[in-house]
Order: sequence, then structure tokens, then C-alpha cells
Amino acid sequence: MFETINIAKGVNVHVNETTQFKTINFSIKFKDKLTKEKASARSILANVLQHSNEVYPSHTALRMVLDDLYGTSLYIDSSKRGNEHVVTLNVETVNDQYLSEKGVLEKVLNLMYIVLFKPNFEHGQFKESIFLREKNAIVQRIESVFDEKTRYAQQRMMELALPNHPASITSNGTIEDVENVTNEQLVAEYKEMVAENEIEIYAVGDVKPEMIASHIREFFHFKDREKAIAVPPLELVKPEQSHVLEYEDMKQGKLHMAFFTPITFRDEKFPVMQLMNGVFGGYAHSKLFVNIREKESMAYYVSSSFASQFGLMFVLAGIDSKLEEKAVKLVLEQLEEVKKGNISDMELDQTKALLTNQLKEALDSARGQIDIYDQYMELMDKFEPEFMINRWKNVTKEDIADVAQQLSLEMTYFLSGKEDERDA
Amino acid sequence: MHKVEFEQLEETLFHEKLDNGLNVYILPKKGFSKTFATFTTKYGSIDNHFVPQGGTEPIKVPDGIAHFLEHKMFEKEEGDVFQEFSKQGASANAFTSFTRTAYLFSATGEIDKNVKTLLNFVQTPYFTEKTVEKEKGIIAQEITMYDDQPDWRLYFGIIENLYKNHPVKIDIAGTVESIQDITAEHLYTCYNTFYHPSNMVLFVVGNVDPEQMMKLVKEDQAQKTFVEPTEIKRIYPDEPKEVAIKERVLEMSVQKPKVFYGIKPEKLDLIGPDMLKHELAAQLAYELLFGRTSDFYHHAYENDWIDESYSFDYSLENGFGYALIGSDTHKPEILIKEIKHTLQNAVEKWPFGQEDLDRVRRKKIGFFMRALNSPEYIANQFTHYAFNDMNLFDVVPVLEGLEVSDLQNAFALVSHEPQHSVFTIMPTKKDEQ
Repeated sequence: MFETINIAKGVNVHVNETTQFKTINFSIKFKDKLTKEKASARSILANVLQHSNEVYPSHTALRMVLDDLYGTSLYIDSSKRGNEHVVTLNVETVNDQYLSEKGVLEKVLNLMYIVLFKPNFEHGQFKESIFLREKNAIVQRIESVFDEKTRYAQQRMMELALPNHPASITSNGTIEDVENVTNEQLVAEYKEMVAENEIEIYAVGDVKPEMIASHIREFFHFKDREKAIAVPPLELVKPEQSHVLEYEDMKQGKLHMAFFTPITFRDEKFPVMQLMNGVFGGYAHSKLFVNIREKESMAYYVSSSFASQFGLMFVLAGIDSKLEEKAVKLVLEQLEEVKKGNISDMELDQTKALLTNQLKEALDSARGQIDIYDQYMELMDKFEPEFMINRWKNVTKEDIADVAQQLSLEMTYFLSGKEDERDA
Repeated sequence: MHKVEFEQLEETLFHEKLDNGLNVYILPKKGFSKTFATFTTKYGSIDNHFVPQGGTEPIKVPDGIAHFLEHKMFEKEEGDVFQEFSKQGASANAFTSFTRTAYLFSATGEIDKNVKTLLNFVQTPYFTEKTVEKEKGIIAQEITMYDDQPDWRLYFGIIENLYKNHPVKIDIAGTVESIQDITAEHLYTCYNTFYHPSNMVLFVVGNVDPEQMMKLVKEDQAQKTFVEPTEIKRIYPDEPKEVAIKERVLEMSVQKPKVFYGIKPEKLDLIGPDMLKHELAAQLAYELLFGRTSDFYHHAYENDWIDESYSFDYSLENGFGYALIGSDTHKPEILIKEIKHTLQNAVEKWPFGQEDLDRVRRKKIGFFMRALNSPEYIANQFTHYAFNDMNLFDVVPVLEGLEVSDLQNAFALVSHEPQHSVFTIMPTKKDEQ
């Protein structure tokens, strides 16, 4: 899939030369340790860098040149994976063989260079007005989570269950930490990011790997950097409370449950745990969906998910606020079935078929290819879907029951509608 | 089978209208491992007043019935259709919009079987009073979930403001109360009226051999019997030009106010190439006025009147449409005033020339090319266009033909103040609780 070319110590270019897409996709990923402070500063940084730069000093000027380049999309996002915080420059541009105009690709590569290396500085710092505006934008982004009650409930549960743990630190950091970042600190963070972070550069489209690598080597001048020592994820600490009930002015109750599992992405039983999650609550044929939605008509959504970086499994359901206890009981009953190995051949085959389908489908988008390749890089040099597909194939019901038995319910969080309605 | 080549885009589309009236489109995609198929009926939440198949008098059906029917199509006497798709490694789903109900799957294997499952389950209705009753609890939770989503309430709030009579103002899923009236008989009536193959489109895109796939669909359809197609009589009320409600506020559990400024277009009877041209011209005009490179955006963003949630949209169907501009904002009054100002200024003096048009046109072409990487986008958009007698692949040539005056004319249809409305969501006042 990807051809990898090392251009400096700690800087790799991965190119998938393919005619599958009408566009060319780039991602440049800057990887650093995940802390609240780092996440806060780097989120502001992402916004400031995508706002404007020395060559295009206003937001409007930068957006106009992108429009002129056939609506080339360019954005910088901040995300996390395990213990890592990742700032990614994402660019997608139309392959100019579909256009009457040529030379678009060179212009786009040059623009990517400008965005990363020609910041909008004034007296050696980021232009103050832009710095303040983007700081404020991140604060507002963090605040807006409250409006989406499913996301809010999940975040609340994580903060309560695993405070200060990478699993609960969000990629945007915290309001307090964002507000505390100074312009000076942001400049230091920026310099560290481009000079010291490990960098993975991806390109997908009808492009030659050597051409992309030599262009980046020649123009971007990435220097050697030390490979950060991979820190194993922190141990999961048992939460102080096992049940939390909170209220908001809303109609539906949001049930969120967190389970610990010793199995993570790096464990050889990772594929077994993926199947366990699928059989239990990952799909429309799963036990949670069939029993709680279809049989009991209690929920529109009810599902489980496996956060493999941390060894966590979650169950989410939207239910009537009066039915929390009943829902928890039903979820645990279904888990008990999995633990006992009461899994039909059909359930097992369906889950294997859908996991396989999902992986293959994800590889039908350029972003999917980049994300999956980047994620599996830790486990293997050259990711091939067959690697996972073959491992799923060999998993038995007994294997699934074994990993299910290792799950422990650590927190039940319920965000309920109005208090009076619940008591009614 | 017709074969249409779009040379510049390097796409080939195969089409055939079958004897039973079903339109089948197949678009092979090289290099893709997945196949995506949608089977769509031109029947959505706005089709609530019609002459039922075989009848003579028009009837009205409960709100939310098209969506309810969509849910119930998945349940059969022998069980749940999801089970069958899962067994064949396919992810299946469905959605109901104002004008369409679509059933779909994506899969990387067993495509023939999955296509047959898709055709079979949508063409074999099975509704009983018991299964209908059981679904009410699930859909009630779905409605409740949407009720708690401020962005959904904002969207429907502004549409209710804009439309006085047209059923677009009714929530697609109905209400917890309205769905209680739905019976199995209702579902059969709606099904028989709107699910005739002549009212449907099958679109298959991805890793397929077009000849072989068309043969499979034809054989499948030839084995099934359908009544003779009749013209569907849908009844829509008259809709005044001006909006129903000028301004409305709702309180919800949100951290800051949310605003939508909505505009009801003046000409809502467009169809085919005229509709495509108008919609694209209006979208470009809105891009210039409210897009990321506009003076408005620059001003509003730098002053913190809008934030990252800012959006604008222009969307048109036959019989209804809307332009929406909105954001989360600490300054709803100022934001509304600025939007009004921007519109008013453009009415007084059209501020854009050829260069501006060229720029946003390039942006739009680029967006379209990017979207063509997505089988989902192609299938859904193509069907939406086809139901309005337009062709998705005409987008680029029509864009290339637009002139500045086209943008001005399109804008003129949405500039009159009586067609404008505002909906705001305010944080609940905590001290009153």
C-alpha cells in the first residue's frame, strides 16, 4: 500500500501511488506526549497556523488562494491516540489531470511549506490579535461539548472515572490551561513541534513517491530528531465512585458504562477483544441491539465500543430516565451470556464478516488508508488487511468468553432528565 | 442498457429503465473494494396527503409515517433483515428525508446476494399490529433523542418559521403523540402507493461488472409481479410567499445562544435544468456573501460574533427550499443585524464581479471532484437529482456556464425582507428552575 522513504531521523514520508482517487491527499502528523498543557497549547497552535501566515497575512487571503487552487482543502487538527498528542496538517487537492490548469500540485506543496514554516509573526511572536482570537475559539470549542449531551455525558464519565489520565484528557485540553497559555509559550511550543516532534508524512493519490520525498526533503528542511521513547500507557486506576447520577434539563436519559479490560491494542488478544465487543454491542445483530432495542423497545441507540489504546470498553444507551436500573440489569445480563460463551455460530460469523468488511471499506478512502496505516505502524512495518482478517478467522467462542470474563464494570454514569420526572 | 461517458471526470454511467418502471443506474469504480447500493423511493415526510393506490379520494396520514415505514421494512416474518446482511458481511442502513426514503448497504463481498437481499426486503412488506406497536417505543426514544439535540431543534425551528402550510414544517419522525395513531393498515396504504418500482431508483456504485449486475437486477424484477403503474397524486397546500413566523426563541440546556437566519426562496416550482442552474447560482452567490472569504465572515469571526460552528447553506427541492446562515454566538442581536445588513447591501449594490465568480466557481468544482471519491455521495446525490429531473454529472458544465448576472438573478429571489426569519435558542435561565 504505502512506500516509506526516510528523509531525516524521525521523519518519514509514506506514499501510496494510486489512481483510485480523483484527488491527492496529504497528512503531516506531528507527534508529542499527551498532557493537558500540551494538548491546550497545541490546539491553539493548530488554529493559529491555519488562520494565516507571513505570505497570506489574513484569514481571507489564505482562504482565497485555496479557493483559487480549485477549493483545495487545508486544515490543521489536534487529536490524540493513547499517550500521544497529534497535530495534523491535512490537505486535499484535485489531481490536475482532471483540470484544464496544470501545476496545481507544486503550488499546493509550496503552500503547505508556507503554512508550517512562515508563521504570521510580529516581533518574534504570533500576531497578538490572532493569538487571542484563536485562544478564545478553542475555549468555545471546549465549552460547546456541553450542548451535545451524549458527548458531554461520555466526557463527564471519563473525567470522574480516570481524572488526569490520557484516557480522559481531551485533544483540546482544558479551558483553564488554554487560558493560561502565553504567546511566548506558544512560540516555544511551535518551535519544538517543527524541530523536535516525530513526523509522519503521508501522500495518497496519483503521485510518484520519489517526487514527493525529494520535494519535501528539498523545501521543508526537516532536521534529524530523536525518536521519543514510547511510554507505555498509564495503569488504569480504579475510580473512587462506581455510580454517578447527574441531572440536566433534557428529555432522554443517557446511560454510559465503563469497563476495564487488561487487553489493549498491543496485546495478542486484541483481535479477540474486537470480536467480543462486536458480538456484545458493536452491530445491529449484536446482543445489546437485538435484546434492548428490538426485544424490549427501550432504546433507539444502544451499543458498546472498545477503546483499545487504553483497555476500556464502553456501553452507551439513550433511554427513558425512569429506566436506568432496568437497562443496567439488561446490559449486564447480556454480558453474562457472552461470559458464559452463549454465542451462536451465526453471531460469531456475522461479527467476523462485518469486522472484515469494515476494515476493507475504510481502505476505500484516502483518509482511511492514512489513519489505519498510521495506527498499525506501531505493530508492523507494512500493514496489510489480511493480517487482521486472518487473526479474526481463528477466534473461537471460548476465546471470546475468556476475554469477556476479564472485563470489570468500573463506573455507571447516568445523565438524567429533570429530577421531578425521574421520581414520577 | 444505455452507457453515458463523462470524459473529463473519467466516469461511465450505465442506465436502464426496466419494464416495471424501475430506473437502474450502475457506476463501476476502478480500484475500489467496496460496493454501495441504494434503493430509494420518491416518498418522504412531505407526502402526507395523497390519493392512495387504487383509490379515488385523497387521504391524510399521521405525521412521521414515512419514517415509521422505513423502520418497519426491516422486520419480516422470519426475522430481522439486518441479520441477513450481517451474515453476508454487509452494513445495511436506511434514512428518510423530506422527499425520499432510501435503503442501502455497503459490502466488500457477496455483492450479488446483498443486492438481492436489498431488492427482496424492500419489495416484500410485512406489517402486523403487534410489530407496529412494538416499534413505537423505539421511535419514541429516537424522537426524544432528537428533541435534546439543540442543532436539530434549531434547524427545525427555522423551517417551522419559514413555512406556514407546507408539510416540510413537520418533523420527519413526527412526534411521540402522532406516531401512536399509526396502524399496520396505514403502512400498507403508504407502501402500496409509493413503493411501486416506477417510483423508485436503484443505484449501484463500486466494484461491479455493469452488464452482469444489470442482468441480475432484471432477472430479479422479472420474477416479481407488480400492478400496473399509475400516476401518484400528491396534494400540497398553497404556501404564501412570506414567512409564517418572523422571530421565535426557544430555551434549552445549552452553554451559549444559537441562531439561524432563514430565507424562503421566492420561486419554488423549479425543476430539471432550471432548478440545477438556480441552485448552483444561488449557492455561489451565498458563498460570495457568507463564505470563508467574504467580508461578512472576516468581520463576524474577528469580532467573535460567530465561532467554529458557523455554517450557511442553500438548498432547494420542488415545492420548498431555504437559505440558512447561523452560528453559536454570544451576540445574537448583532449577528442578526450584520446578516441583514449584508443582504441589504447586496440588494442595493451587487458587490461581485467576474474574478469573484471565477474563484468560487473553482472552489465549487474542486469540492465536487473531491466528493466524487465517495460512492455514498454519488449514489445519494445522483438519486436526489434524478427525482428532480436533473443529472448530477451536469454540475461541472452548468457551473462552467454561469455568469455574474445568473448569480444576481438567483440572489434576487431570496432578498426580500418578508421572506426572512430568525430562530434563536437561548440557554435556560438557571434561577427559574
